[in-house]
Amino acid sequence: MALRSINLPGIGTKYELETEKKDTVAVFFLKNGNIQMYTLQHDCRTPSVAELSAVEARRLGTILTGAIMEADKESVEIAFSALSDLRISVHTYIIGKKMGGHSLEDLQIRAKTGVTIIAVSRGDKNVINPPPSFLFQEGDAVVAIGETDQLKTFEREIMVA
Amino acid sequence: MEGIVLALFVCLILALITKRLSLPSIPFYIIAGLLLGESGLKLVGADEVSLFLTHLGLLFLLFFMGLEIKPDRIWSNQSAILSSGLIDLHINGIIGFVAAYALGFSLFDAVIVAAAFFISSTAMAVTSLIENRKLLMRESETIVWLMIFEDIVLIAFLAFIGTSTEHPLLILVKIIAVLGIILAITHYGKKYIISVLKRDDELPVLLTFSAVLGIAALASTIGIPESFMVIAFGTILGTIDPIAFELHSRPFKDVFLVVFFVFFGVTVDLFSGGISPLAIIVICLVAILTKFASGMIIGKRIHGSSISGVEIWANTISRGEFSIAIAALYGSAVVSGTIASMVIVTSIVGAFAAKYSGRIQKIILRNKPGPPVQPDIHSETGSGG
Repeated sequence: MALRSINLPGIGTKYELETEKKDTVAVFFLKNGNIQMYTLQHDCRTPSVAELSAVEARRLGTILTGAIMEADKESVEIAFSALSDLRISVHTYIIGKKMGGHSLEDLQIRAKTGVTIIAVSRGDKNVINPPPSFLFQEGDAVVAIGETDQLKTFEREIMVA
Repeated sequence: MEGIVLALFVCLILALITKRLSLPSIPFYIIAGLLLGESGLKLVGADEVSLFLTHLGLLFLLFFMGLEIKPDRIWSNQSAILSSGLIDLHINGIIGFVAAYALGFSLFDAVIVAAAFFISSTAMAVTSLIENRKLLMRESETIVWLMIFEDIVLIAFLAFIGTSTEHPLLILVKIIAVLGIILAITHYGKKYIISVLKRDDELPVLLTFSAVLGIAALASTIGIPESFMVIAFGTILGTIDPIAFELHSRPFKDVFLVVFFVFFGVTVDLFSGGISPLAIIVICLVAILTKFASGMIIGKRIHGSSISGVEIWANTISRGEFSIAIAALYGSAVVSGTIASMVIVTSIVGAFAAKYSGRIQKIILRNKPGPPVQPDIHSETGSGG
């Protein structure tokens, strides 16, 4: 994997990555704030190009770092490279029928999955660090924090099961 | 005053149309000027206000160019810049001069035409690389360095071709003295300047605007080349905070430059002063062909391929803002008319050549299948809108 970056006057900054399989991915941060991403298969002469806005590029970046992301659920993964590559994911979920009407205490989320619910958003009100007695309602948006695997367990065993 | 408003509105409409069609807008501003002014309907004439605004357009164009010039970066890429740049300079500079001289221009005019002939449009080259999505091509870096080289040649040209009658050494001493003072001020006042630029009131814009005008006024008062000083000033300020200065001077550049282009067209009189249509046609054709020659040689020398040569050619055909600047600074009526026509023709041809370079490569090189080149973009797949 060879990464090369260069500043092109008048255009912006270019990052070019050649993968082990000899494919090329290049990202240009243009001066107008947009980002052009080129991908070129090793035996191909014509790259394909996508032009992204800054927001779109960040979304793409989140996906590429390996965090889960679905249409109405968003997540961010934070990696602390100094702390032996500690990775924490922060994920939002919408509470469905199954969890509605239950409290944090009887769902036993942290004990069963290791995931912590750090905030709940209901309508235009936000509750940070909800107490164990907090009752979920269908439609609440919650912010959960944990490792990617823990969040997957949470989705499988609490959200759906 | 009404003339300027009329011209600006025509340009606004043209800008809307050309951006939509992904065409360069500079040639159309000049055409609009030609149609509205001396050569056309005579609806708009140059007056003191328009002269002042066009002057501002020129100053901010040059200042902006100065901000883009990073001496350290140029230094560390000098081999890339020189190898292609010298080929470009020799072929286009010499042929441009010979062609102009052969067509009957005086020695001085032929030098001016040759300079305008040599320098491609950085703005159009960069826009076409981005809009046609060709940034990944290895030729695109070569093209960018080529534009930087041409800018440096222009700076040297502006420094030496003055209209002053003073001894060159005296001018040189004055230039060094002024640059020394600017460097000292920016060096010791760096922190203060940065703190002013960070404010969100009118101060940053006021500082940028008055600094550029101040340098220009100082230069013309003490008799040193104004355009050169404004570029050098931009380069020095670029070492402090290029992004802030770009941000604060951009609105001036954008508006006044349009005024500059349209009024350049307004003041050009194509039908008097003995501009022969034949000379114009010859210059335009030669302008396209010499860039082909230099592009092909650069392509072969640097990338070992004629396909690269066609790509470099397609993106460097367009002459634009700097050619017009040279004409506005030094051009006689005949020279300005010739350069205006050359900019219009080459920039429109260049826009299409850059867009369809993939097809042109196939046509030109049909009988010479080169080795597979990568990455090489067929632009028709990526015509941005």
